[in-house]
Amino acid sequence: MISSKFYYRSPSDVQEAISLYQEFQGKAVYLSGGTDLIPRLKLGLQRPRAVIDLKRIRTLAEIDDKGEWVRIGALVRIFNLSQNELVAGFFPALKASLQATSCEALQMRGTIGGNLLQDTRCLFYNQSEFWRKSKGFCLKMGGESCNAVPGANVCFANYCSDNATALCTLAALIELAGPDGTRRLPLEDLYGGKAEKPFTSHEGEVLTAILIPKKKSHGGYEKLRLRGSIDYPLLALAFSVVDGTGKLAVGAVGARPYVAGVTQPFHETIEEALDAILRQLRLAANAVLDPAYRKRMIPVLARRLVKKVLGEER
Amino acid sequence: MERIKVAMQVNGEPSVLEVRPYETLLETLRDRMELTGAKEGCGMGACGSCTVLLDGIPTRSCIVLTAELDGAEVVTIEGLSDGTKLHTLQQSFMEKGAVQCGFCTPGMIMTAKGLLDRSLTPTREEIVRSISSNLCRCTGYKKIVEAVEAAAVPPAGDA
Repeated sequence: MISSKFYYRSPSDVQEAISLYQEFQGKAVYLSGGTDLIPRLKLGLQRPRAVIDLKRIRTLAEIDDKGEWVRIGALVRIFNLSQNELVAGFFPALKASLQATSCEALQMRGTIGGNLLQDTRCLFYNQSEFWRKSKGFCLKMGGESCNAVPGANVCFANYCSDNATALCTLAALIELAGPDGTRRLPLEDLYGGKAEKPFTSHEGEVLTAILIPKKKSHGGYEKLRLRGSIDYPLLALAFSVVDGTGKLAVGAVGARPYVAGVTQPFHETIEEALDAILRQLRLAANAVLDPAYRKRMIPVLARRLVKKVLGEER
Repeated sequence: MERIKVAMQVNGEPSVLEVRPYETLLETLRDRMELTGAKEGCGMGACGSCTVLLDGIPTRSCIVLTAELDGAEVVTIEGLSDGTKLHTLQQSFMEKGAVQCGFCTPGMIMTAKGLLDRSLTPTREEIVRSISSNLCRCTGYKKIVEAVEAAAVPPAGDA
């Protein structure tokens, strides 16, 4: 049962959606597939005054070959995108991350835009209100300090999008439409590094599309999880090689995906890239696997991934 | 609070409802229409026991708002059998002993129906991938996969 009461609106274009957002004075949320949002509403993690459903905006659900770019509407379903020929032909890391997202049925409901804009997760946060109240509210709930690392005044929640990790290795841009017009920015700039409020997007902005340079890439994706059938990543690793240059991204290890460039010979420079990433990470005991183990698994999965990708190249 | 008018088809029957914006499809089916075949397990979209077909796609009804469904077609487990004659999948689940406590079964069958509707002869791997969207906590999935496999094979002489 959803205990919060809200209005429901289903605009037919993006401008109308933005106007509605303003009408509710920012106390509204945009809804696409709902696989992340509805559970959060059920837990009372968010109590909007209005839910603005974007699914009637058909133009948001299209995939276009723009020559130099592949433009993916934010409301394209994850399953449909994973079946797309352009994705299979040009972006193998993305195809692999799409297929590793949750389970097939949720891939058919969830959208790529919603997947990118999913909230950060923490064992101490994604709980019922009763559970959270008994512990006292954490930073992300508006409290004074972190519950995963008692006393800490930073949030350690993890951003668990499989596909953001892969898209960060493919130089993807995102397109945002808001009250002040439309803008494009690198996907990596969507993340501000604060786990309690991970995104830099402005109030009322709608993620309309993801744009990927249409260049053949080699790549892959590795995911650490307990259940192969479902689960958010406990570690997400993506590697893509475009025009002879590689990019490694590590996700589910904090507020954003961590990205590092890798040049040839890959099996050597990957170690430098890993060092650079590992130095920045501060994992907390807030996921179902121990942080020391998760950290140790990063190089293991990265080497495995690079080997796999290079094997395909030969 | 407002009510949203929703015209949808449920198991082939048109129905027009006025629902609260925060009512889920599962609540509409179970509490309003007395279609209690879809079960509430986790209520968070994880277990799949509330799966129904929404415009042909296996969907977790506990995380869909009924307000979203104006113009939609919903098929629940109750919509599968033709009067007293069971659907091939239902028959197959019985024959193969793919049911223990039965709580996950409606969801399993609707997920399988979604698969068979888009692929007449799925491979074992495709069946496993589809059915792994649904949790069964009684046992393994062996007999469930076998039941779907058997239902996918057209009866002899029918091909």
